[in-house]
Amino acid sequence: MENKEKYWQENLRLIFICLAIWFFVSFGLGLLLVEPLNEFRLGGYKLGFWFAQQGSIYAFLGLIFWYGAKMNKLDKKYDVES
Amino acid sequence: MNKHVKLAFMVAPILAIVGFIAADFYKESEAAKDKIVQLVTQGHCDIVNKSCVLVSGEFKVNVSDEAGVTEVNSTFPLDSATLFLVDKNNKMTPYPLGMIKNPYYWRNNTPLGQLLANKGASQKLRLIAKIKGGQYISEFSSQTVK
Repeated sequence: MENKEKYWQENLRLIFICLAIWFFVSFGLGLLLVEPLNEFRLGGYKLGFWFAQQGSIYAFLGLIFWYGAKMNKLDKKYDVES
Repeated sequence: MNKHVKLAFMVAPILAIVGFIAADFYKESEAAKDKIVQLVTQGHCDIVNKSCVLVSGEFKVNVSDEAGVTEVNSTFPLDSATLFLVDKNNKMTPYPLGMIKNPYYWRNNTPLGQLLANKGASQKLRLIAKIKGGQYISEFSSQTVK
């Protein structure tokens, strides 16, 4: 029972980290910091614009696989059936 | 692909839609705030010779005069536009411009053509262009070069 509780707590922690990164990449880099980032360029595009259009989506994909890998480790650590 | 990745792939589009809606609300509230942006002249300003462009980012305003009619043409639609002629005592005379066909073109009769008729003549002007969510203002001088 205690193990399940710990497993769930670690899972929640992981989800909050993912959501924080999701917020930072999409709202932070794509909206709130778009003006200063637009001073720089990536592949010919303004960096703030690039994050709003493509960069955040790449980050979301990265987050999905990172979350999957971390959860796999958690499953093994707490011996949860997959 | 394990169950966690599958689940994350199902949740991601929902987050993307939520994010899209939240971003839309944020940008809409930002746009609703009144902003004052200053326009600067792009190179030398010569209204009589149709060479006077005021610029701020992607927004450009072209000011020209022909036969006593001063015209303002902008890259974005305007809600209103007022041109002020400023004399040597810094006294302003406003000339509210009227829309011509569409909100990109505004004009009014002004004495600008007479004031700037001679080569070397100079006139100080101010422009207030109102646009949804803000005002573009400018103080500039037009000098006739030819």
